[in-house]
Amino acid sequence: MNQEEIILKIKTGGQSELAAVYKEFRDEFLHWITREYRCSADDGKDIYQMTILIFYDNIRQGKLQHLVSSVKTYLFGIGKNIARENLRKEKKFVSIGQEKWLWEHLTDEPSQHIDEGIFARAKLALEKLGQPCQRLIELFYYEKKSIPEITDALGYKNPETAKNQKCKCMARLRKLFEQETTSSSTIFNHESI
Amino acid sequence: MNQSEEDITLVERYFDEALSERERMNFAARLAVDESFKSLVENEKILINSIRHHGLREDLEFLKNIEKGLDDPKVIPMRSSRSWYYVAAASLAAILMIGLFFRPHSSAQKLFAENFQPYPNVFEPTVRGTSEPTKRSEAFQAYEQGDYSKAVMLFNQLLQEKEEAGILLLNGNANLMLGNVEEAKKNFITLNADFDELDIQSKWFLSLCYLKSGDMEHAKPILEELGNTEISYARKAKELLKEVK
Repeated sequence: MNQEEIILKIKTGGQSELAAVYKEFRDEFLHWITREYRCSADDGKDIYQMTILIFYDNIRQGKLQHLVSSVKTYLFGIGKNIARENLRKEKKFVSIGQEKWLWEHLTDEPSQHIDEGIFARAKLALEKLGQPCQRLIELFYYEKKSIPEITDALGYKNPETAKNQKCKCMARLRKLFEQETTSSSTIFNHESI
Repeated sequence: MNQSEEDITLVERYFDEALSERERMNFAARLAVDESFKSLVENEKILINSIRHHGLREDLEFLKNIEKGLDDPKVIPMRSSRSWYYVAAASLAAILMIGLFFRPHSSAQKLFAENFQPYPNVFEPTVRGTSEPTKRSEAFQAYEQGDYSKAVMLFNQLLQEKEEAGILLLNGNANLMLGNVEEAKKNFITLNADFDELDIQSKWFLSLCYLKSGDMEHAKPILEELGNTEISYARKAKELLKEVK
């Protein structure tokens, strides 16, 4: 499989493609990262999992459309970046904290402050949203599937129905988020009295 | 918080990348002055990031389950970590690449001087007084002590006996220090072609050789390749671009 084929497969595929890419470069990556940064095999796996997710997400979000170098070089570059950032912050190698890395990957600006309270409320709202809304908006915003693809995947009558449904789901999510925000500020106000 | 339906639709279309050029401009202008509108946009961004976070979390769990079914690869211990330099070199590649696009070719020599540092001997660090000196130990010691003429002479002899990645890299560096650019190029090209290891380092120093000899045409594609190896470079490049504009 050449570089362009891998990118296309990731863009159009699902978790089976994710598993295939994960397995293909895993051993070589773990050999390299554990030697280069003197970290344990478990820490190496944590970094590799983040590396694959970032690679995958960059392709889906359209940040990576074609590779000048090989997939291996690109993956090693991401892994190196994670290990280096971790070493810079911690002075010596400690476990990377995958959750923190997920949020750092999602924020665009290096200086952007992550308000954990707000995100916790957004997560609660998303949980309350339920199915099939949750799946629909995840296909649209995370997997970056087109409306026609979502129509097929979730069995909507036509793309227009899928698009309307997506708008309704987002409206419901906004409302739930607003409710979470209101209830949390009410609790805060009660506690501060 | 009561937002108009119109504004909500506008924000939704913005995140769906469905705005026209003119609409985007109006959107940006309003964002700069309208706090309530800005808050609406920020909330939408938080919600979309939460959706993406949820997706990433699920895929992470999926990878962890796959991992459970796989055997650990055998780990080969390494003598010394060279990560700091490895990383520094790749980072500089991105900065240097940007510099190349905005500076005249005549400053290539200056860029070379600003960015070239000989690679440290991390392959066989000299331990003095432990055993009888050999040609090999003398070569590494000469390199460490900055006696590059002696190092090149001894490394060349060692390379005639057997090609080794680490020696090729250090010999290339020693040749660069001596101004033997063509010899250095040969070392890095051989290293890149004949070995799987040290590929980023060989490319980095090869690009510096091209810079040193003013050959921008060959330096640029290598630096572009190195600059694309890390996702954070895109951000750095954008910041640099703002500064040079």
